[in-house]
Amino acid sequence: MPAKTPEQINEDLLRPLGGASARYLTALAFFAGIVIAAFCAFGWQVYAGIGVAGIRRPVFWGFYITNFVFWIGLSHAGTLISAILRLANATWRRPVTRCAEVITVFALSIGATFPVIHLGKPWLAFWLFPYPSERGLWPNIRSPLLWDFFAINTYLLGSVTFLLLPMIPDMALIRDRATGLRKKIYSVAALGWRGTPKQWHRLESAMQIMAIAVIPVAVSVHSIVSWDFAMAPVPMWHSTIFAPYFVAGAIFSGIAALIIAMALLRKFLHLEEYLLRVHFENLGKLLLVMSLLWFYFVFAERLTAWYGNEPSEMTVFWVTQTGSYSPLFWLMVFCNFVVPFPILAIKKLRTITGTVIASIGVVIGMWLERFLIIVPSLSHKYLPYSWGTYRPTWVELTITAGTFAAMAMLYMLFAKTVPIISIWELKAKEHPTSDHAPALAQTAEEGAD
Amino acid sequence: MAHQWGMVIDLDRCTGCEACVVACHAENNISTVGEDQAARGRAKHWIRVERYYEGEFPDVKTKFMPVLCQQCDAAPCEPVCPTFASYHTIEGLNGQVYNRCIGTRYCANACPYNVRFFNFYNPVWDKPLNLQLNPDVSVREVGVMEKCTFCVQRIKASEIQASSEKRDVKDGEIQPACVQSCPTKAMVFGDLSDPQSEVSRLARSNRATKLLGELGTLPKVTYLQRDSWHAGEDS
Amino acid sequence: MQRRDFLKISAAGGAAAALEGCGNPDHQLIRFIPEEDLLPGIATWKPSICTLCPAGCGTLVRVMQGEAEVVRNGQLGILKMGLAKKIEGNPAHPINQGKLCPRGHAALQVTYHPDRIKTPLQRTGNRGSGQFKEITWDEAIKQLVSQLSALQASKEQGRLALLASPLRGERRTVLNNFAAGFKSAPPIEFEFFDNRVLQSANLQSFGHASLPTIDLGQSNYVISFGADFLGTWNSPVAQSVGYGHMRKGRPGQRGKFVQVESRVSQSGASADEFIACPNGVEGMFALSLAHVVLRDKLRAGDAAGHAGSLIDGWSQGLPDHAPEKIEKQIGVSAATVARIAHEAAAAGPAVVLIGDAATAQTNGLFNALAVNALNALLGSVGKPGGLSFGAGWSEPPASAAAGKGAADSIQKLVAQLQSGSDAARVLLLFNANPVFGTPAAWGVHDALGKVPFIASFGSFIDETSALADLILPDHSPLESWLDDVPASGSARTVVSLAPPAMNPLHDTRSMPDVLLDVAHQLGGDPAKALPWKTYDEALKATFTTLYIEKGSQTAKDPDEFWKKAQEQGGWWSADEKTPAPAVGKFSGSPAKIPAPQFDGAPEEFPFHFLPFASQMFYDGSLAHLPWMQEAPDPLSSVMWGTWVEINTRTAEKLGVKMGDTVEVASAHGKLQAPALVTPAIAPDLIAMPIGQGHENFTRYASGRGANPISILAPMTVESTQSLAWAATRVKVSRVGEGKIVMFGASMDETPASTKHR
Ligand SMILES: Nc1nc2c(c(=O)[nH]1)N[C@H]1C(S)=C(S)[C@@H](COP(=O)(O)OP(=O)(O)OC[C@H]3O[C@@H](n4cnc5c(=O)[nH]c(N)nc54)[C@H](O)[C@@H]3O)O[C@H]1N2
Ligand SMILES: Nc1nc2c(c(=O)[nH]1)N[C@H]1C(S)=C(S)[C@@H](COP(=O)(O)OP(=O)(O)OC[C@H]3O[C@@H](n4cnc5c(=O)[nH]c(N)nc54)[C@H](O)[C@@H]3O)O[C@H]1N2
Ligand code: SF4
Ligand code: SF4
Ligand code: SF4
Ligand code: SF4
Ligand code: SF4
Repeated sequence: MPAKTPEQINEDLLRPLGGASARYLTALAFFAGIVIAAFCAFGWQVYAGIGVAGIRRPVFWGFYITNFVFWIGLSHAGTLISAILRLANATWRRPVTRCAEVITVFALSIGATFPVIHLGKPWLAFWLFPYPSERGLWPNIRSPLLWDFFAINTYLLGSVTFLLLPMIPDMALIRDRATGLRKKIYSVAALGWRGTPKQWHRLESAMQIMAIAVIPVAVSVHSIVSWDFAMAPVPMWHSTIFAPYFVAGAIFSGIAALIIAMALLRKFLHLEEYLLRVHFENLGKLLLVMSLLWFYFVFAERLTAWYGNEPSEMTVFWVTQTGSYSPLFWLMVFCNFVVPFPILAIKKLRTITGTVIASIGVVIGMWLERFLIIVPSLSHKYLPYSWGTYRPTWVELTITAGTFAAMAMLYMLFAKTVPIISIWELKAKEHPTSDHAPALAQTAEEGAD
Repeated sequence: MAHQWGMVIDLDRCTGCEACVVACHAENNISTVGEDQAARGRAKHWIRVERYYEGEFPDVKTKFMPVLCQQCDAAPCEPVCPTFASYHTIEGLNGQVYNRCIGTRYCANACPYNVRFFNFYNPVWDKPLNLQLNPDVSVREVGVMEKCTFCVQRIKASEIQASSEKRDVKDGEIQPACVQSCPTKAMVFGDLSDPQSEVSRLARSNRATKLLGELGTLPKVTYLQRDSWHAGEDS
Repeated sequence: MQRRDFLKISAAGGAAAALEGCGNPDHQLIRFIPEEDLLPGIATWKPSICTLCPAGCGTLVRVMQGEAEVVRNGQLGILKMGLAKKIEGNPAHPINQGKLCPRGHAALQVTYHPDRIKTPLQRTGNRGSGQFKEITWDEAIKQLVSQLSALQASKEQGRLALLASPLRGERRTVLNNFAAGFKSAPPIEFEFFDNRVLQSANLQSFGHASLPTIDLGQSNYVISFGADFLGTWNSPVAQSVGYGHMRKGRPGQRGKFVQVESRVSQSGASADEFIACPNGVEGMFALSLAHVVLRDKLRAGDAAGHAGSLIDGWSQGLPDHAPEKIEKQIGVSAATVARIAHEAAAAGPAVVLIGDAATAQTNGLFNALAVNALNALLGSVGKPGGLSFGAGWSEPPASAAAGKGAADSIQKLVAQLQSGSDAARVLLLFNANPVFGTPAAWGVHDALGKVPFIASFGSFIDETSALADLILPDHSPLESWLDDVPASGSARTVVSLAPPAMNPLHDTRSMPDVLLDVAHQLGGDPAKALPWKTYDEALKATFTTLYIEKGSQTAKDPDEFWKKAQEQGGWWSADEKTPAPAVGKFSGSPAKIPAPQFDGAPEEFPFHFLPFASQMFYDGSLAHLPWMQEAPDPLSSVMWGTWVEINTRTAEKLGVKMGDTVEVASAHGKLQAPALVTPAIAPDLIAMPIGQGHENFTRYASGRGANPISILAPMTVESTQSLAWAATRVKVSRVGEGKIVMFGASMDETPASTKHR
């Protein structure tokens, strides 16, 4: 097949923006239903009291904070990966960046709701914000929760900008083809884009700056999330390894989420000719590296704890290694390492299906990792008299399901309104085509160099 | 210098009777939560008596240890609180401002002693049990963390009384409800900044230890270890 | 203010009643005129007496102005009144010296209990159905008077029965006089832990039919056979104060405490040395100690005096009780016995206690006699650091204790009702709950159901008062005149007295006042037997006779004495007196320690069954108090429930895990409850706390847990009629998974760090 012409690219990538199929609407309604159920569950929690959730003494944080860390971690899919690839000039990245960046924005938004959802008095969540008030009282800057507030907001602002900047030319493209109300809306989104050289130049430099700026922000976000735990004298939390461990885990789960999202887009939006095996293969290799890194971190963390033999840490250690949480622990190792490692390491298995299977494993495994960091430590903190177990209730389960549904729903809506692959970047010629596939691997390697 | 309130608990006297536990409920308007919530770990006992067994019958050793907020000088529950609801008072207490707490429960995770209790629901007193409530102590609503205050209302009352009489608070004048009730006088409360006070004297005992002292929380509760017959140490 | 005046107070202006309340019933409340001149926010402390157990601790009630929703003259309104806010120990009171046990605090919830009976009730549904209608006091008293006059008319006064939980002070006089004036049998006093076995033993050994006062504070060596003296037995707060002093109150001197029992009780948990010993051999153990003391000439053979002479073989030095001979039987090595005997004899003041399960064996009386003799031998009777008797102002008449248990009278009542001859036709109930507190095998429930008319004066519907036809609810203790003469707990003579700490919340009346009223309406002998207009008048008449005695206050006349006593919470003698033990007048045969008997064949029922007093519920009468339900048990940390204690290894053999539902069956019944697997109990013993398992006892206790009393065998303590409540054998089987609510929920998990190291 010959290389796509710009018209074909326009045609292929703008097609999904058209009318909604029955299948699309059904799926959307399904996800929306779950999201509404989650809102109802939260409403009930606000009305009846946070007690309807399963948290208890001493496990004061459960599914909500697990989800918080999980989604914030997942958000490292996009902006961070895309920024790194941009800076490294990995040209194969072009069809991948936008669908990655949008994961960041949505995952971050979803994750950021959990610190509110988990509050005993969510209606006072704004007390976490530093604003001049009649209370004359600033929030406590020594609290890692405040650091979260700043870090997450900065990252959200950065990643939204990072998503929106490269969307401008595409918005202009749609504007130029649209009529009526749609034209008006896209005109606003296009921000007066005319495609003058000056505009192109500014866009390129802005993106370069953002790509550089967003990396430390992303790293800081999950470091700070890790410090929500590491700053407290809780066995197995109070660890110097936590920040890099969390950041690595975040990127790990982010790549996995990206692979899954790409596979779904490829299938449902018929982007087989844009999202190619090579993309999955390259991301699969990255995932493999992260899986090894993850394993290394877990090993290092566990080894030092075990070697240190500090009684309270060993309690948590054994309760996860061989005790009541061990099934979850070993399932996590299975999902994060045993499944992805062979699939991704063996070239033959590193197919689209293969990488997707590995990624599903990693997403599950990384959710479990968050849970296993939070709950066993709290449930077995120091004095054995007050140890306790934790089980979520339907409220937490519904809200958790709701966040996954919300992700799907937002993604579907986004893909209906914005080309999920950056059209103008694809047109910049270097994008790989299916019949150039062999040469592509080379390009990718160049990019990786 | 401001008073530094502290407590000594003599484990050689404590019999695990739990009078302190109920006294604290009565003094501090701690609501009962009922069986279902108790089963779900929501019971609130600002002071509890931990019981540990060692060995097998008949050579089984039993240990009782009353645990309440240790009023740490380096309290891990304080810096983590985003709203300053958990804060340090100049008299060395770990204060808890119920009105400011928004229920992150971070402080409770950070407290190594698990002595912070959360209101998972609004408290209920079946009428007329509400008439038992102590008007000197506010009741806490849903979503708010609570914990032992060293009976700060009693401390304040004595301080106000003393200052109105233009004198300092006398040693032993202030008795938190648990201390007042304790039948074996296992608990002693007083001012640690006064080296002559009973509590300071006892805290210097060679049986004195701090609970989880290795964590560097600088607790202001001192435990005196169980003694044995014919052991030399006294008091 | 007098109750009658108080009742006359009318609502403040009818106009208030016309207030439209926006549909919110709260807003339709009427404000009544304030009753007391209390400053808002300023607390006052009023002396009172804890009535929740026989110890009789003195309390101070913190009273503050508050607003209560009350019904007055049939109208619901808000009354600004003095409300009890907290109960604290009275520091001046010689028994508890300012301290309280957990139950004492919860007494507050008796007054404010939402399920308290608020007005007189008349049964409408079937007996026990719990259906009652509210009636007025006039109607209620009329009904009672007509029932009693009917008995008088048919010359059947003997068929009036009075059944009461142990009465205190002047209340006992009022009831006794009422019964005497009416010519019925004397009131039957019933409680599960009646201690009559020990009283009877003390009468035989020392001539005092009461529990001993133990001077733990000055003791150097304490041996306790089964007595949970730091938990519920005898005068636990007084004993705990003394114990604290013994341990750490005397610089350079620390007493040793040895507990001997088959399950680690709350007291046993604090022991310096815990000695496991099967149920029923406590007396042999004690005599073995005595043997060593005699053999090694640590004390003179005649030191035990009369108490020793009651024991067979004493004068020969108890050769049958040489430790070497009986070490198998008592399960304690001869070396240990010898060591303990030497330690106790050498330590200085030593004291030996016996109580609870050790006296609830079939041979409980003899166990107690043996311990008494040992105490006498060690020279602990009537001495500092030992035990003393008879400090009480008036002891219960010896006849009440000697050879008579509550079981005796209850069983007699039941037997009469079952046979129909001479059976009670009218029963007056005063807080006693024998339907809950006796084995099902006694058939108390069905028997009482046969009484044609039952009137209850209690404040709550419980298993027994549920049978009542008429309920005349008493004030709560905080609303009542109280008096008490604790028989033990202080070496001083203590007479506690307290006026009501607060006005009544509900339309209740003081029980003694109602009885006076009834007696006066009956006229004739009953009226003559109760010549006082009100209970406080009766109280004053008796109490002021004390004013010439030297004691805690001086007064120029009885009136001043009466006033001062009310302010102080009673009167107590100036000095501690430790009266020398009188010699018993009992002329029973010398006691050879018999072997304990157990109900149920060991093959079928392999375990001994030990019900025990619960720290929070005592005998079950406090299970309705939410503070008590939610307070974790000191040893198990269980809240809101009951449990079956099983030794760790036994549970392993039975395949029972923590929290599993198990069935405990005796030859007389069975029950189910969650298992508590613990190392602190003998492998052949199954133990259960008493207190839960109420079918009908307010919203907090009904239908919760199981009642171990119900499956007990109807065994009695030899030579007495008391229930031998620790003489039943049971079998245990796993039923399935279950639920147990514990505050220290994970104590069963051994810290992994220790397991793996
Ligand atoms: N329904 C009803 N309304 C009333 C009254 C009543 O009895 N019933 N009483 C009236 C009376 S007398 C009064 S005084 C007013 C009181 O009314 P407010 O002054 O509104 O009193 P609060 O709601 O107790 O507290 C005000 C706020 O201060 C915050 N706060 C707590 N600590 C601090 C701090 O250190 N610094 C700052 N800046 N803020 C803090 C609390 O979280 C709360 O949000 O209400 C009046 N309104
Ligand atoms: N726990 C806790 N305690 C607090 C506060 C808090 O927020 N929490 N707030 C504090 C503050 S800001 C205040 S102002 C105080 C308020 O404390 P209080 O001054 O005790 O206020 P109220 O509860 O309104 O009680 C006033 C009383 O006056 C009576 N009253 C009403 N109208 C009249 C009248 O016309 N004449 C007379 N003689 N009596 C009347 C009412 O029935 C009521 O009993 O509470 C303080 N205490
Ligand atoms: S009241 Fe005193 S003796 Fe009883 S448990 Fe508390 S500290 Fe121990
Ligand atoms: S014991 Fe816990 S709650 Fe109390 S001051 Fe220390 S850390 Fe804070
Ligand atoms: S629960 Fe309340 S006191 Fe604790 S950290 Fe959160 S806001 Fe602060
Ligand atoms: S000091 Fe006061 S608040 Fe703290 S445990 Fe004792 S009674 Fe409770
Ligand atoms: S021992 Fe406890 S229940 Fe008994 S009288 Fe004293 S305070 Fe009351």
